[in-house]
Formats: sequence, C-alpha cells, structure tokens
Amino acid sequence: MTVTELAAKLELRPLTPQVTPSTEQVTGGYVSDLLSDVLANAPRGGVLVTVQVHLNVIAVAVHAELAGVIFALDRVPDESVRAKAVAEGIPLYTTKESAFDVAGRLYEFGLRGPRA
Amino acid sequence: MKQFLADLHIHTALSPCAAEDMTPPAIVQAALDSGLAMIAICDHNSAGNTAATQAAAGDRLCALAGMELTTAEEVHVLGLFPDAARASAAAAEVVATLPQADAAYYERFGPQQLMGADGRVLGFERRMLAVASTFELSAAIALIHRHDGVAVAAHVNRPSFSVVSQLGMFPPDAGFDAIEVFSAPGFPSRAAEFAGHGLAVLSSSDSHFLGDVGSACSVFEMRAPTFEELRLAMRGADGRAVRCA
Ligand SMILES: [Zn+2]
Ligand SMILES: [Zn+2]
Repeated sequence: MTVTELAAKLELRPLTPQVTPSTEQVTGGYVSDLLSDVLANAPRGGVLVTVQVHLNVIAVAVHAELAGVIFALDRVPDESVRAKAVAEGIPLYTTKESAFDVAGRLYEFGLRGPRA
Repeated sequence: MKQFLADLHIHTALSPCAAEDMTPPAIVQAALDSGLAMIAICDHNSAGNTAATQAAAGDRLCALAGMELTTAEEVHVLGLFPDAARASAAAAEVVATLPQADAAYYERFGPQQLMGADGRVLGFERRMLAVASTFELSAAIALIHRHDGVAVAAHVNRPSFSVVSQLGMFPPDAGFDAIEVFSAPGFPSRAAEFAGHGLAVLSSSDSHFLGDVGSACSVFEMRAPTFEELRLAMRGADGRAVRCA
C-alpha cells in the first residue's frame, strides 16, 4: 500500500496537498512523540504516528526517510512546520483518532513495526 | 576579570521529588561550603522560593531567581531572571496552565513547600508542578525573554526531558542563550559536542539533595557575580567567558 492509498483508507486529512507522496509501498509504522526515539527506531520508508508538532518532526522525518507523518487527536502543526514539510517533500496528515487507534488500523492493513 | 564558580540549577523543597531539607538557608550554606559565588534556584514551573533564597543569601552569595519550565513537548528549559519579581511574573504565567493538585498527587509528589528565608514552611503550591505546561518550546523561550531572562536548554545530555531527547536534535534557531550539560561521575557530559552550536555551555548539578549542591559547576570570568555580568559572559562580551568546571 502506498501512502496515498493508506491516507484514503484511514480518511486522513492531508495538511500538505502540495506534496506528491512517494509511490513506493509503505514499509512499516512507528508511534512515538520522542523524536530521539523516532530517529533511532522508525523504519525507513514507514509512517510515523505522533502528537509531536514541533518543527523538528520534519528534520527527523527527512533523516529517518519516512514516507509520511500522521498527527493524531486532530493535532495540526504550525504553518512554518507545514511549509518545511512541503519544502522537504514529506506528506503530513491529521486525524481525530488517537495514536493507538491509528496504529491498530495500520496493523490491520498489514503494516508492522521495526522489530516485528 | 575575576573567576566565579556558579552552580545554576538547584531545586528547593518546592519541587516535587526534591528533598525536604532543601531549604533556602540550607542551600545557601551548602553553596558557601562548596566555594560557589553564584547559584540559581530553578524549581519546576515555579519561582516561589527564589526571593526567600535571595534573602537567606544576603550579600554572602549571588542567588539568582530562576525557574525550570516544562514545555508542552516535555522539554526542560531554565529561565534565569534579573530579579525574583520578574521570575515570579514569568512563573505565574506558567503555573496558570497547570492542573490543580489533589490528595493523590501530594501523596506521590510531596507537599511542594513554599518557604521563608529562615527555612520555615509558609505554604504549599496548589498546582501540579510536576506536569508539563501548555507552553510550546518557542513560546516558553519567548516568555523568558519577555521577562528579561536568559533561556538555557537544560541537561541536554540526559535521556529524558531534554531538548535532544524530546526533539531528536538541538534546534539551532530556537533562541536559547546557553546550553547546560548535566555532570556527574561516570555520566558523559558531551560538552565539546554541544559547544558546536556556538552558545555558552554550562555545567550544573541539577541538585535535588543538599549533598549535590556544587557537585558540578561552571567557571565565569567576569567583573562581579551578578545577573547582568552573567548575561554578558554568556555572550562572551569584552573578554568575559564561561566554561564548564
Ligand atoms: Zn530537568
Ligand atoms: Zn532540574
């Protein structure tokens, strides 16, 4: 499944419509609000589910080569963060669901964490 | 220029998890015994014991009024202020965002004692100082600057509640005035690595217990142990300097 297919299935609201997401298959998922943890453990080509909206989310997503970031609980990062995501080509989404529920649905779709 | 030893991160009994004998006079005495010329009182999300510690210190020691603010990202940021009034004004904005403490909270985190200069208990802070404020990092630094303080990234080398643990990497344009590394035997300070950000690097004890006061400190080269001199030393102005001891 690509990021775009996944976003449609989960009915995520796109925050960066200017970004064309990767057409590669999403490799896995990760849930964390600690960006040091994301840097160390998120799977390359995976999606991150978080409530962390600081600008560093984008820098970390680039380093970790994430396919996209899903903000839970209707979190929406500032315009400056979204602009940085557009510049870096990282698609951002938000959803009213909790990180737990988003992760559960990603798991149902067959995505796994880095150590599964 | 003269050299002054400073331990700029000390908690009082007001902080949840700090020892109850961390009273203003006991901290001042411990600092003098350690040869410090300067300390900063930095309780979690509060400046409620800063004026008392300054009164306890008199002219024996410079006791700066500070606060250790917990941001919404759970990053610890030290604010050091020119006086207790401005520290308290900044802290009032922070504490207003915290939930009211209940009996279960006090049982777990302790009584959050507000004290006088003689160490007597005058009252108890009623908000949960142990939790995160709603200030995001950039707003927290702006708050500190608005009250004429300097903002220090606290214990950046620690694996929790540091700007690096929470945000993955040091944010270069966040507006910090200095970086603090935590120093303890066997714990890597990584001071040289953090010096690469072009900001003053401090070493502090983050004392929660009397025996830790002065166990780590910074050396300030400046004219006198005052807040204004400290601010200039952090910028390296006119031959002033600061380094980890
Ligand atoms: Zn701390
Ligand atoms: Zn502390």
